[in-house]
Amino acid sequence: MSTAYPVPSDVSPVTVKNAASLLRIVALSLISGAAIASRLFAVVNFESIIHEFDPWFNYRATKVLAAKGFYEFWNWFDPTAWYPLGRVVGGTVYPGLMVTSGVIYNILHWLNLPVDIRNVCVLLAPGFSALTAWATYMFTKEMKDESAGLLAAAFIGIVPGYISRSVAGSYDNEAIAIFLLMFTFYCWIKALKQGSALFGTIAAVFYFYMVAAWGGYVFITNMIPLHALVLILMGRFSDRLYVAYSSWYAIGTLSSMQVPFVGFQPVSTSEHMGALGVFGLLQIVAFAQLVRTHVSSQQFQKLLVASVIAIGVLGASAFVFLTIKGKIAPWTGRFYSLWDTGYAKKYIPIIASVSEHQPTAWPSFFMDLQFLIFLFPAGVILCFRQLRDEHLFVIIYAVMASYFAGVMVRLMLTLTPVVCVASAVALSTLLDTYIDPTEPIPAEEDVDDSASVVTNGSSAANAPSTQTQSKKAKKAAAAAPPSKGPLGDLVAATVSSTSTKAGASSKPKGIFGIDARLVVILNTLAMLFFFVFHCTWVTSSAYSSPSVVLASQNPDGSQHIIDDFREAYYWLRQNTPEDAVVMSWWDYGYQIAGMADRPTLVDNNTWNNTHIATVGKAMSSSEEVAYPILRKHDVEYVLVIFGGLIGYSGDDINKFLWMVRIAQGVWPEEIQEPNYFTPQGEYRIDERASQAMKESLMYKMSYYRFAELFGGNPGTDRVRQQQVPKVGPTLDYLDEAFTSENWIVRIYQVKKEDPLGRDLKSANAFEQGKKRKRTKPAPRRRAII
Amino acid sequence: MFSLKTLLLLAVGLVNIVYAKSSTGNSDEAPAIIEYDEPAFVHVVVLASETKNFAKDLSPQAFVELLNLKTNLILALSTKQTPLTSLAPEFSLVLPPPGTPLVSYFPKRDEPASLIPITPTKQDATHILSKNLAPVWFSGVPQALGNNPLLVPILHAPAESFASEVDGGSADALADSAEKGGEGLWAGSQLSVVTGFQTVNNARVTWVGGVDLFSDELAQKEVSPGVKSGNAQFARDIAAWTFQENNVLRIDKIEHHRVNETEPRELYTNNDQLVYSAYISKFNPVKNTWEPYSGIKDLQLSFTMLDPHIRTALPPVSGHPGKYSTTFRAPDRHGVFKFVIDHKRQGWTFLQSSTTVPVVPPRHDEYPRFLSAAWPYYAGAISTSVAFFLFSALWLAGEVKEGTKKSGSKGKTE
Repeated sequence: MSTAYPVPSDVSPVTVKNAASLLRIVALSLISGAAIASRLFAVVNFESIIHEFDPWFNYRATKVLAAKGFYEFWNWFDPTAWYPLGRVVGGTVYPGLMVTSGVIYNILHWLNLPVDIRNVCVLLAPGFSALTAWATYMFTKEMKDESAGLLAAAFIGIVPGYISRSVAGSYDNEAIAIFLLMFTFYCWIKALKQGSALFGTIAAVFYFYMVAAWGGYVFITNMIPLHALVLILMGRFSDRLYVAYSSWYAIGTLSSMQVPFVGFQPVSTSEHMGALGVFGLLQIVAFAQLVRTHVSSQQFQKLLVASVIAIGVLGASAFVFLTIKGKIAPWTGRFYSLWDTGYAKKYIPIIASVSEHQPTAWPSFFMDLQFLIFLFPAGVILCFRQLRDEHLFVIIYAVMASYFAGVMVRLMLTLTPVVCVASAVALSTLLDTYIDPTEPIPAEEDVDDSASVVTNGSSAANAPSTQTQSKKAKKAAAAAPPSKGPLGDLVAATVSSTSTKAGASSKPKGIFGIDARLVVILNTLAMLFFFVFHCTWVTSSAYSSPSVVLASQNPDGSQHIIDDFREAYYWLRQNTPEDAVVMSWWDYGYQIAGMADRPTLVDNNTWNNTHIATVGKAMSSSEEVAYPILRKHDVEYVLVIFGGLIGYSGDDINKFLWMVRIAQGVWPEEIQEPNYFTPQGEYRIDERASQAMKESLMYKMSYYRFAELFGGNPGTDRVRQQQVPKVGPTLDYLDEAFTSENWIVRIYQVKKEDPLGRDLKSANAFEQGKKRKRTKPAPRRRAII
Repeated sequence: MFSLKTLLLLAVGLVNIVYAKSSTGNSDEAPAIIEYDEPAFVHVVVLASETKNFAKDLSPQAFVELLNLKTNLILALSTKQTPLTSLAPEFSLVLPPPGTPLVSYFPKRDEPASLIPITPTKQDATHILSKNLAPVWFSGVPQALGNNPLLVPILHAPAESFASEVDGGSADALADSAEKGGEGLWAGSQLSVVTGFQTVNNARVTWVGGVDLFSDELAQKEVSPGVKSGNAQFARDIAAWTFQENNVLRIDKIEHHRVNETEPRELYTNNDQLVYSAYISKFNPVKNTWEPYSGIKDLQLSFTMLDPHIRTALPPVSGHPGKYSTTFRAPDRHGVFKFVIDHKRQGWTFLQSSTTVPVVPPRHDEYPRFLSAAWPYYAGAISTSVAFFLFSALWLAGEVKEGTKKSGSKGKTE
């Protein structure tokens, strides 16, 4: 037996095992450390602050939970949200995240560690990312081995696709959900492998936790049944599957119904029917198996098959019938938009208006996953080689998640774990092959297979085939020919594996010499290094901005903090009565509630389309039309975001068309989108802007007194790159109350009704000394014609 | 000028309150009527009906500002064009062209046609004027009224009267002006000569068509032999109304709680029985006190979220003077509701009150525990449990033959 490099042979297997185990633990803790550390850019660069929009609500809810206890939280009715409808928070929220932080907070306080609840919330996501790394390690270990698991853990720890949702301060449901997702899948695989009711139950418990934490639990609800269904169709039904699935489904469904927000959905909506159907199918199949063991007659078995099919058809038609009768809720719009990307834009603009719901752009795949994205197909192909039950799971998961990630940007998050797992499998196979010191014996029969001393010996048996496979993988990775690749590789892989099994390979396969090994290994290492650099760079530059605080560069390169949002929210908090209702576009609802502590009309929990459309209508109509709407809803302040002065492109004028569209959906007679474009079909804000645009409340509030800033010179909107009209809009029904330092946030006060009963426009005209036209007494009799 | 006399007349009728009349002399040294956003006077009377230019601080805008600050005004008009003429349209008063006073040739009398005795009728503000008021001598311009609901016409012109130039007051001239003005004919009892106006925040203004109304001369003048005119009493009446002595109400406090409780809750639950009470007082100018007042028969309460979900009468409670109370069931709908009283009657102080209170769904432990309608489910659960128990007992107690495949039935029970 020859080796490519010297291998110590006098080490006992126990020592090797222990050393490997220790190394794994050290590696895992280092990975955890890296995962946590790389998420702290946001805290280091800015401060310990809650990010973005939704986290502000979660943070506020957590504060209520921590201060008042669980029961008060459960029964919490928030009268300040969706004024005046209010929001039953306890029944419309996934409480998992808040409860998790609440528990951590209480434990810390029980240990006499007086940690602020804000810091618990800020650091929850990094903490859970370490757990995710561990869960991914366990999951991948089931797929291949420990070394692949470690690679997968390292990948998921720092991959930007996951970091984007879990930096410190990004206190959102996804922060804990990915951990729960991976751990539930791990338990499911474990249960399936062992036919263990215990692991099935653990899977169900974590499924329950997932249901309580994130609306994306539906992904698990459909992934596991899909896996089970595919297994049945492939004729792989077994008692293990039956036990695992039944225990998971029964306990998981019953417990998930305990979450108030979910309630009876698992038995009444279409999204959950797949799981129920597979559960029923499993019972039928199991019953058929049982009968088959007792009955020998060939004909009876045929009858059995027929009856199984008949029952299946009957069940499906019952499902269709119930859907038509309305007993089962049909698919929701959000679901349709997954299949037809144009659906949301046409029918539910409120969903389409969210940037997270847009289809993914190609570059963002590379941005979020870097070289994993071309290792990923290789890993999936490798899964076909053994095609055990758990490999099927990865394949299905990969196919489904790839599709969904292409449809919606935010679903990139569900794709990331499987990409990490598959890439880790591919890369670890590659490394296994090239680190394996065994030299093939030239032109002899290959008897050395069993004589391997490699610690990770599972791949040794398959070394020849692995080698061809990984070569292919490498080729795919380097050139990535998308058209014929997967199918060809698949054929080659199956052919080669069968041929090696038959032992019919005549030519010696393997890697000769240290140089060939080094070339590949060094290349791989370089790729890994670049991956780490890329991840660090993307994380620090793209994903660590709190978006509440903006950063820009001074001319000398130092950082300049733009803190307009908090400035404005604190102004509201300190200068307005506590019950002053603030109207803004729904994006800012949670932030106003969280930072300014004032009632809002609409917020990011977009449950009531009509209410949002009302705000859209008020924003896009003229003052005269908007004023009664504002008064009816007791609005005292209106808040708009305006980026024209410093070039902040995420402002309300850029979102304005969505307001118009959403309002048009409810009042098609009064608001029409084409009116807001110039006759040439351009979206302009300068002199040539359309009449409806210039009269809209949003336009007026954004550009009110903007031209004055430029002292007679033509003013320029730096977002739209257009010159604003020299004479700016005037406001009769609103007063400017506050404008922040960089004009990003502008707050207007709604005037009270005129005490003399005039409309405010003529009251204003009088105030400015304009004479009223002489009027005559109203005619009291009809003119004779 | 008659201003001094007029003031004396007013002063005779009004006690206890400091009335200040500001700068008919147009002197710049006079105190500004608004200083640092604070009104300098409680009430302001402007009888300078013929002055062309007022002091700087007495612009029409300043008068409106005074009203916003809850200062009450009496403003007198004349046939001449003054700053007040341009202010009147803001109150939905439509004045005839300059130089056209109210003229009436009926009843036949010795006085000039522009000095008219007006007998208050039912049409006029009977709750502002005293009963059995003798006819009032009037000389001045009438006002046509716009459709502003805040206007309180106090005294209407007689039906036979019209606005016209005194000299050319012939039938032809009238017809001419009617031609020219199209429908703009200032004539008839729809015109008002003394008009009150109560702003949304309860400040009161009275527009008087001519300042002669207040003069001693007319107050002493007889309308019919032996009967002195009602001018003096009329002046007192409108001053009492304008200066917030008459027809002044207020809501002292409001209470709301659940039936059989006494303290208000921070939030109520769907379908709670709620009790709402309001305590209303009326100002007694004689004693200068607020007295409980149960005289409102048509008070209403709304329970509102965007739209009124409940609108019910709020009747006075007998035995409790000034207390109005009602009981109703909260709607089966959660949200931020408001108890709203919005009582607006011409000539009376507007009563407005709005109290916000959230109505929430029942707490998790407030729902009924056992429902009779759910018995099929209870029966199902119980029977399954019992069957499982029996099955397990039989299974364990029964003979164990060699390994039959029972995993199917085992799985089902999980």
